[in-house]
Amino acid sequence: MDEHKFCFILCTNNDILLSEAIHYISHLNVPAGYTTELLTVTDAASMTAGYNEAMTASNAKYKIYMHQDVFILNRNFLSDILAIFRSDASIGLIGMTGYESVSPDGVMWHVQNRLGTPYKRKASYPPLSDYRYSLSEDGYRRAALVDGFMMITSTDYLWNTEDLTGWDFYDAWQSLIFLLHGCKVVVPTQRHPWCMHDDGGVLNLTNYNRYRQKFLRAYHAFLGKHYSEIMP
Amino acid sequence: MDISFQLNSSTEAFFQELEKNKKALQDSWAYITETLNTALLQQDVETLLSLIPYMEQGEGTLAYAHIGESRRVLRILHIIQLELTYKKTPFFLHCTNKNSLMEKYMLSLFALRRLAFQLAEDSVKEAQNYLSTSRLSIFAIYIILQEDLICPTQALYDGILSLCSAYWNAADKELFLSLTAGR
Repeated sequence: MDEHKFCFILCTNNDILLSEAIHYISHLNVPAGYTTELLTVTDAASMTAGYNEAMTASNAKYKIYMHQDVFILNRNFLSDILAIFRSDASIGLIGMTGYESVSPDGVMWHVQNRLGTPYKRKASYPPLSDYRYSLSEDGYRRAALVDGFMMITSTDYLWNTEDLTGWDFYDAWQSLIFLLHGCKVVVPTQRHPWCMHDDGGVLNLTNYNRYRQKFLRAYHAFLGKHYSEIMP
Repeated sequence: MDISFQLNSSTEAFFQELEKNKKALQDSWAYITETLNTALLQQDVETLLSLIPYMEQGEGTLAYAHIGESRRVLRILHIIQLELTYKKTPFFLHCTNKNSLMEKYMLSLFALRRLAFQLAEDSVKEAQNYLSTSRLSIFAIYIILQEDLICPTQALYDGILSLCSAYWNAADKELFLSLTAGR
């Protein structure tokens, strides 16, 4: 395992989006002494299968699993996530948005008080060059679940390919896997959004319920629970 | 009745309804895709614009409600409708199918974002080149800026006006200035 390496991992089916996502990645500042790599998986059988394929192919300690429609705006993104991981060895997973509790119905965003700062239309943001994060001043919040558009890990746990054969619920499922392994899940407090997630404004939920039912069965004991009740 | 029960009930009802409409939803999206491909290949404006009422009031409302890409399709159709009304070069010029139409839209959006973000010199330069040569109408630019995921500033409006001045006429420029004044 290379302790000084970041690996960006994207499952992709759209060259235009992928190319733009890479454009933003390529403009990130890389901390001194660290290297980066990029692994893209095309035609993956599922999100979990694609992520496992890339995860096992990379020796990077820090893996950044992200959607092809995510554009990283915070140019100090890598040093900022490094500072968070270094601040507490038990932090295993960082997300850009998340929730402190598991929703009783399994639908992540039905929990009130979303953590994180998504990029929104008609908001007023400073120039990207003014984006600054301070671990001591801004900090982070602990979460039960983080949204899958961006999941950053410091340790590898296999993604569940057996149950999750599509493109839904891998994020909630993996968040709980980290908590159940004793790893904290956190979301940095972002004065300005670190990423733009351009999902077109509507989630395609046509296959979502199938995996929600599996989640409800597998994690029945944790429904409605706060992260502190899952991993103190 | 506790909150969890209410939440679970409404969630179940939502997914039951979605399951019930799944076939119709898939069919409506397939119809939109097929119509776009056929109309663009034949440059058939009437058929192309027939998708507007289909998506706003007809069976296509299902696709609009559940498929993100359909939002951008409808936005493009509105752009084209305005361009044709005001006798501007239509957005679909050189687009022969849905994929090429969406590609043009996304590249335009990406260029506008790069100009807005000022990520780096090379990034801005690529955006400027794209916008200088793509000959987007004022309607295309204005609607993308107002309706897509981007936060325009006065500096961005000024930059766009400077770039597009090469191919916008005096009336276009005046309209752009009036639409963006004080926004």
